[in-house]
Amino acid sequence: MNAAVAALVALGIGVIVVRRRSLATALVALQGLILGVTALSLEGGDSGTMVVAGVILLVRAAAIPVLLVLARRRTPERTLVAPTTSVATRLLLATAVVLVAVAATPPLGLGDRVAEHGSVALLCLGITTVAVRRPAILQVLGVLVAENGVYLLAIAVPGGVPAVVELGVLFDLVLVVTVAIAFAGKIHERVGSGDTDLLRGLRD
Amino acid sequence: MTSTEALLIALPAVPVAVAALVFLAPSGRVADRINLFGAVLTAAIAATLVVLALDAAPGVAASGSWFTLDVAAGVFLALAAAVGFASALVSPTYLRHAGRSWFGERRSHVYYYAAFNLFWAALLALPLAANLALAWLLIEATTAASALLVTFSGKRSALEAGWKYLVLTTLGLGVALLGIVVLYAAVGGHGPASLGWDALARSAAGLPARTTLFAFVLIVVGLAAKIGWAPVHNWLPDAHSEAPPPISALLSAALLPTVLLIAWRTQLALAPALGQTAVQELFLGFGLVSLAVAVPFLWRPLPWKRLLAYSSLEHMGIIALGIGFGTPLAIAGVVIHLAGHAIAKSLGFYTAIPLLRQDPGAARRAARGVARFSPSTAGAMTVSLVSLAALPPSPLFASELMVLLGGIEAGLLAVAAVAAVLLALGFLGLAHALLEGLYGGRGSRGTGPRPRSARAVALLSGVAVVALLALTVAACVLPGSDLVRGLMGGGA
Repeated sequence: MNAAVAALVALGIGVIVVRRRSLATALVALQGLILGVTALSLEGGDSGTMVVAGVILLVRAAAIPVLLVLARRRTPERTLVAPTTSVATRLLLATAVVLVAVAATPPLGLGDRVAEHGSVALLCLGITTVAVRRPAILQVLGVLVAENGVYLLAIAVPGGVPAVVELGVLFDLVLVVTVAIAFAGKIHERVGSGDTDLLRGLRD
Repeated sequence: MTSTEALLIALPAVPVAVAALVFLAPSGRVADRINLFGAVLTAAIAATLVVLALDAAPGVAASGSWFTLDVAAGVFLALAAAVGFASALVSPTYLRHAGRSWFGERRSHVYYYAAFNLFWAALLALPLAANLALAWLLIEATTAASALLVTFSGKRSALEAGWKYLVLTTLGLGVALLGIVVLYAAVGGHGPASLGWDALARSAAGLPARTTLFAFVLIVVGLAAKIGWAPVHNWLPDAHSEAPPPISALLSAALLPTVLLIAWRTQLALAPALGQTAVQELFLGFGLVSLAVAVPFLWRPLPWKRLLAYSSLEHMGIIALGIGFGTPLAIAGVVIHLAGHAIAKSLGFYTAIPLLRQDPGAARRAARGVARFSPSTAGAMTVSLVSLAALPPSPLFASELMVLLGGIEAGLLAVAAVAAVLLALGFLGLAHALLEGLYGGRGSRGTGPRPRSARAVALLSGVAVVALLALTVAACVLPGSDLVRGLMGGGA
């Protein structure tokens, strides 16, 4: 579990740092795969919960990334949307976010401090990704990193979270990602780029 | 299955069915009729359930594993149903001149009604949810449909508003979900039933205080992003100002309060674990910050719908204060405030339809001199802003007074005093905006003939005046009633 959490956090940092949407999508797909495999290994042989974990793995590691890849192909960028901050600054920021999240998280009663820390760190990394990355697809990936943090905590709960809730959350996630992808396409059509900074017209 | 259970299933099922049926409509006019028929049926079912819920006050009319028809459900269902019904009635008037949308001109009615009814269905089901996890799923379900509606016009500014709304509220709900998972682990994780309001209230006293407080803060802070409480309100002014007016009304007068109910129910259920002070401080903090952030904007010359959006922030702050004070008088004030705000704010947003037809520039700058070119629109603006500013005999005057007196009764004189000063400043700001809107500027900016929507809004103004005055009378008898007693023990 510890190695899986470390890998998830490292991938989350990667989403903030990398420049290309394709690479960031691959990192989030890998997160989905690690989470899915971890969930399956913790289920302990109950066929019903194994099926649910399998479905979640397929959706998080395959279906959603495929949707994002298709969205990226439909919205080609002539040039890379230049990040407003350097790679070093983003790496420093992401590391600081993880350290603060780990330091500030009180015991959550799950009995697995590494999972608790990793979960809150991923949530904070997702929020940071949305705040510092401009391309719409990267912001959707930020939302997914944050949701992966919640899912990590859910699979670390002794006995797991009820399947009906997990599937409901997954359905809502797919719905929101689908709408977000439609938005990303429309933004690209309207402003000729997926750069959300070009939309900043509403101010008081 | 009892007849009440059948009605509870039919309530969200009818709008979902309408959302599917409108795709069969060969024209926009037929889609209008299908939507209208569905809205009447949905409102009738909702009205029956509201009567059943309020009749059983302070008890619970019906409950099951996933639903509850208690007093709180009745009050908030009434809000969601009434505003949704009014928005359904007004929508054809808006769509008649909406022109091109994200979905193109030919099928725009169909996609609008499909998204509208799916949004409404989730909103109607939300107050009835007897379980925190189910409530979260329903709140998230409102996001997708309502984000599409915010962006309906397809304009660049609407895309910006819709995107901001979608991303920020989804992240907020992610934070709330983390809190729910922490809470689920704290209660021992015995299946979804352990997140029911009753089950949470029963187990609360034995929960670890620190973990429960962390979960509670995550849940409320996450929901605050959807309620629009400052400082996590950034999407609110943009979404409310860019959405079609009937949708702005639904967002402001129904969505925000209904999500707030879930934060309130969570507070009532977990209070034994947290102690009154901790929950009080969180709500009072959000209330005061929301007021403090909103008031300066009420003084600025903002476009009409943007002004109303900041007024929503102010009013959600007042409701947070009322819940934070938590005395019977403050809770009675909250009920009146919810209803009065819903009526006045919906009317305000509907007024934007004729206003923007006659003065399209008012979408990007403050309205000026409306009384000179459209007396009926000016009348509706007056009813809306006078009520929202809480000028007597507005029921919002009575409700704000009750909330503030409730604060004093709770021993929180300093908080009540700061809130009173902010409310007074907010009143002056709105009064100034109203006078400028009616008589400010030079000459007549309005062009073209008086739109049919102006007549519809004039009629709605009359209905709103009667309803607002009835609420003012109700404010005199509500404190100490079974309804308030039901709400105080409410969701738990």
